[in-house]
Amino acid sequence: MEASLRDELVRLFDTKLSRQMLLNLETCSRCGLCTPACHAYASMPLPKYAPAFRAEVVRRIYKRYFTALGRFAPVLGEAKPLTDAALEELREAAYSCTGCRRCMVYCPFGIDTQQIMSIAKLLLIGAEAAPEILSLLADVSISKGESIETFKEGFLQGIKRLETQVVARWKVEAGTTPIPTEVEGADMLYVALAGAHSIIPAAVVFNAARENWTLSFFEAVNFGAFVGDPGKTQLILDRIVREALRLGVKEVCICECGTAVRVAKQLSGTQPFRVVSLTEVHARYLREGRIRVKKLPGSHTYHDPCQIARNGGVYDEPRAILGRIVEDFREMSPDPKYNWCCGGGGGLVAMGEDTLDFRMRSSRVKADQIRESRADVVVTACENCHTQLENINAHYGLGKEVKFLSSLLADALVAP
Amino acid sequence: MSAMEYAKELDLRNLPCPMPVVKISKGIKEVAVGQIVKAVTTDPGALTDFPAWAKTSGNQIVETQEASGEVRFFIKRLK
Ligand code: SF4
Ligand code: SF4
Repeated sequence: MEASLRDELVRLFDTKLSRQMLLNLETCSRCGLCTPACHAYASMPLPKYAPAFRAEVVRRIYKRYFTALGRFAPVLGEAKPLTDAALEELREAAYSCTGCRRCMVYCPFGIDTQQIMSIAKLLLIGAEAAPEILSLLADVSISKGESIETFKEGFLQGIKRLETQVVARWKVEAGTTPIPTEVEGADMLYVALAGAHSIIPAAVVFNAARENWTLSFFEAVNFGAFVGDPGKTQLILDRIVREALRLGVKEVCICECGTAVRVAKQLSGTQPFRVVSLTEVHARYLREGRIRVKKLPGSHTYHDPCQIARNGGVYDEPRAILGRIVEDFREMSPDPKYNWCCGGGGGLVAMGEDTLDFRMRSSRVKADQIRESRADVVVTACENCHTQLENINAHYGLGKEVKFLSSLLADALVAP
Repeated sequence: MSAMEYAKELDLRNLPCPMPVVKISKGIKEVAVGQIVKAVTTDPGALTDFPAWAKTSGNQIVETQEASGEVRFFIKRLK
């Protein structure tokens, strides 16, 4: 590795050294309590998949460049220089971690391995060694934000085509647009994904609840966060913030995409609107009696998306919804806080077939948990998790049905 | 609607996010520079995603056709 690149990577490393990060890097007692907590290690007990081992890959570089012993006597202790081989180790550590933070729940010091992995991801970006597809996806989102006027017409045509499917499931009052766009002064801006499945059931429920809403031009997912680029993460989020401010909405509702929910909630800053997940909005409609539902037959279980539950605190709302719309609900984990990660987060699902083998091998414990729930239907509230659960279902021959919570709620609606 | 010649066809209907863009990014590399990939999708978001992807990745959408709820993109590999 050239000295100039090494200097640049050390500079990037330095930008991540907040007080919280220093605690993460300097506190680990190597007690190993986090080791069996990681689904990757629990499914494949190799040392490299232990959370503290991953963290150590970053920590040793920290010791080399940011501690006195590492700087002045690098051969002593465990300091490790930044080399091409070290970059490879960083890549392996970062892209086998889904950022689920299950390890953090078990760590007596609350060490956040996911946050430590964000250093690894940033160094990979600096070395132009980040997964190409994730960088491209982030750039596509940014490009859309820069020239939305060019793309608007096509999007509106696509949305118009979906409206008959919305009306087929819920008859709207005369004069109501089934999927409204560009409504200034709407109460809510709904930010969906590219696929119709993230728009139609949501629109059906909004219409049933007589919500004053408008659909965003942008997709919710934030690939900047997947690739670990703070600048791109903010640029992608800012497109939505600007749109919400322009329309003057009171609430921004993020679709069933865990990373999008976490990023929008944590990084939108102080704004005249609040950020909520679709699941929270749906639970509110039921609480306030704005929609009526029936109970659907069959046994159902719920997979907590890590970014919405462990990393976002939304545990009760999906259970409140399921308690109202299914006859038979079975928990997967006695305490949802410890629900296993599906193994698809952190950009792994977005990397497609390239990561499929690892995703399947590392999700053995999740497959066991689903099987043991003995439920026929696995419900979740995240696009990534849904894709990964479908893959697990096929790979392990579980014979389950995987459904989105929003879609189930739309199926359970009854006329007032 | 003219019949357009293409070297490869990709069925990107009803795929989860972000598979349409992931698959077109891979698929375009499987044809020679100058050749055309036909991509069929049902996503409303694809109508904004694909032009933005073409611009970012340096490829060219030479024709867009819409019929029976589907959108067909004909994309020329430029580099
Ligand atoms: S955040 Fe999740 S995937 Fe990453 S080390 Fe911790 S338990 Fe493993
Ligand atoms: S549980 Fe915490 S302190 Fe113990 S090894 Fe894991 S990260 Fe280190």
